[in-house]
Amino acid sequence: MTNSSSTPHDEERPELNTGFPHTARVWNYWLGGKDNFPADREAGDQVRALIPEIVDSARADRAFLGRVVRYLVGEAGIRQFLDVGTGIPTANNTHEVAQAVAPECRIVYVDNDPIVLAHARALLSSSREGVTDYIDADARDTDKLLQAAAKTLDFSQPVALMLLGILNHIVDDDQAHGIVDRLLDAVPSGSYLVIGHPTKEVHGEAMAEAMRLWNERGGTPIIDRSRQELARFFDRLELLEPGVVSCSRWRPDPADPEPVEVSEFCGVGRKP
Amino acid sequence: MAEVQAGGGPTVRRMLVGAQLRRLRTEQGITREQAGEAIRASEWKIHRLENGQVGFKDRDIVDLLRFYGVDDPADVEALLAMARDANTPGWWHQYGDVLPQWFRAFVDLEAAATLIRTYEGQLVPGLLQTEDYTRAVMRGARLPEPAEDTERRIALRLMRQTLMTRPGAPHLWAVVDEGALRRPVGGRQVIRAQLDRLIEATELPNVTLQVLPLRAGAHPALVGAFSILRFPDQDLPDVVYVEHLTNALYLSKQEEVDQYLHVMESICVRSAAPDKTPEILGKILHEE
Repeated sequence: MTNSSSTPHDEERPELNTGFPHTARVWNYWLGGKDNFPADREAGDQVRALIPEIVDSARADRAFLGRVVRYLVGEAGIRQFLDVGTGIPTANNTHEVAQAVAPECRIVYVDNDPIVLAHARALLSSSREGVTDYIDADARDTDKLLQAAAKTLDFSQPVALMLLGILNHIVDDDQAHGIVDRLLDAVPSGSYLVIGHPTKEVHGEAMAEAMRLWNERGGTPIIDRSRQELARFFDRLELLEPGVVSCSRWRPDPADPEPVEVSEFCGVGRKP
Repeated sequence: MAEVQAGGGPTVRRMLVGAQLRRLRTEQGITREQAGEAIRASEWKIHRLENGQVGFKDRDIVDLLRFYGVDDPADVEALLAMARDANTPGWWHQYGDVLPQWFRAFVDLEAAATLIRTYEGQLVPGLLQTEDYTRAVMRGARLPEPAEDTERRIALRLMRQTLMTRPGAPHLWAVVDEGALRRPVGGRQVIRAQLDRLIEATELPNVTLQVLPLRAGAHPALVGAFSILRFPDQDLPDVVYVEHLTNALYLSKQEEVDQYLHVMESICVRSAAPDKTPEILGKILHEE
């Protein structure tokens, strides 16, 4: 395990700041979890007042995660995942879905929030055949992230890069593309990039207003991106069908072939 | 020996019935006062019913449901059955003589929980104690009671531990102060066996143990031990449990739970990561 030896030994350690909303905890709130605080619930309620469907969006994103991981392990033969922006553990986390199909899957979770990391380390445990590891790193620090991940993942073999709800925190386009490029450079042909990202495509002005309020409340700043902007992240890749779409509509279950569009869009690409 | 009941005994069943009554009432926009009038009782009585603090009379349930517009006989019967079930004693009934009133609800809640987060500053958490360690703790307490009562208390604690290995067992996420692990409860042999037991426990998929190092200095939980219990039904709030010598607090108001949750998160972040625990325990074993 990396990075966990730095147990703090001073009483001056900065107190956990739960006074500002945090995306992971707001999502936890929308998904019906109880690992959240008043600032998260207030921000969550404010967004939900503008976009009542936001809860469906959060659920659709989790369902998409399940479908895409099953596809990658079951059909594309992927056995390694680098999941950046872990979030607070809920049901059907990446390693659980992956290891249910192939128990030997190796998953590295990356987050920079102390509460998320504490929960992930405590509650996300690997199958005996596979491995899970947790890295305390900022997505912007790709060197540190890749170096730490290399202790668990074999970068000569294909890796699925899971960037769900993380690039929206990288407000600057050049910086966001830089991160994606450096991660893609580190993985071999046959690797995959999965992106999940909020957009104004569905709820337009309501989403713009929700994001403006969010940023005013002092949470880490976020940004929406359009379908075209999201497609650009896949320029170097073979974009899988059906392209960049509402995550509810990415290869939906046959029982529900045309689900309602939600404001979380996604795309999956394969590195040629 | 009986088994720890799945589903958690009367306390949790009462909380579930109460949570449903609250939902039905608020969906109709009815106040507690109005509901109280409908069953010739006070607002306070409704409050206590909805929080699962008292048992249910059939007549009260029938009248309330009628008032809330629930008239399908099958629905009424289902809730009535649950309410009657909630009035039956828990598995711990046979230990009633040594189980203080204020601790009974905890035993129920613990058995119904999906996640038990606990902080212990002085002792190894009860669910992970060896029999000898438990006996030493109880002898140390110098309770003015016959030896056979103490043995029954020990048997009860061992019974409680069976919930950790039954199907659908809860996840126990415990933070234990390093000081508690270094205190030679029961003498060297007993504490060494206890530390070995803890090392074994870290291998269980449903146990997470973090050690809060002495060198962390002052920390937000120094004031004392507490637990936060989470339940499978999302309607049920988390419950904070704080034990005192002669009584215990059960807190489920959002503001109170928020504060304890914040403290719990703070100490989890300050503690060594769970995968370091076997090494830390091994080191203490080596030094003692």
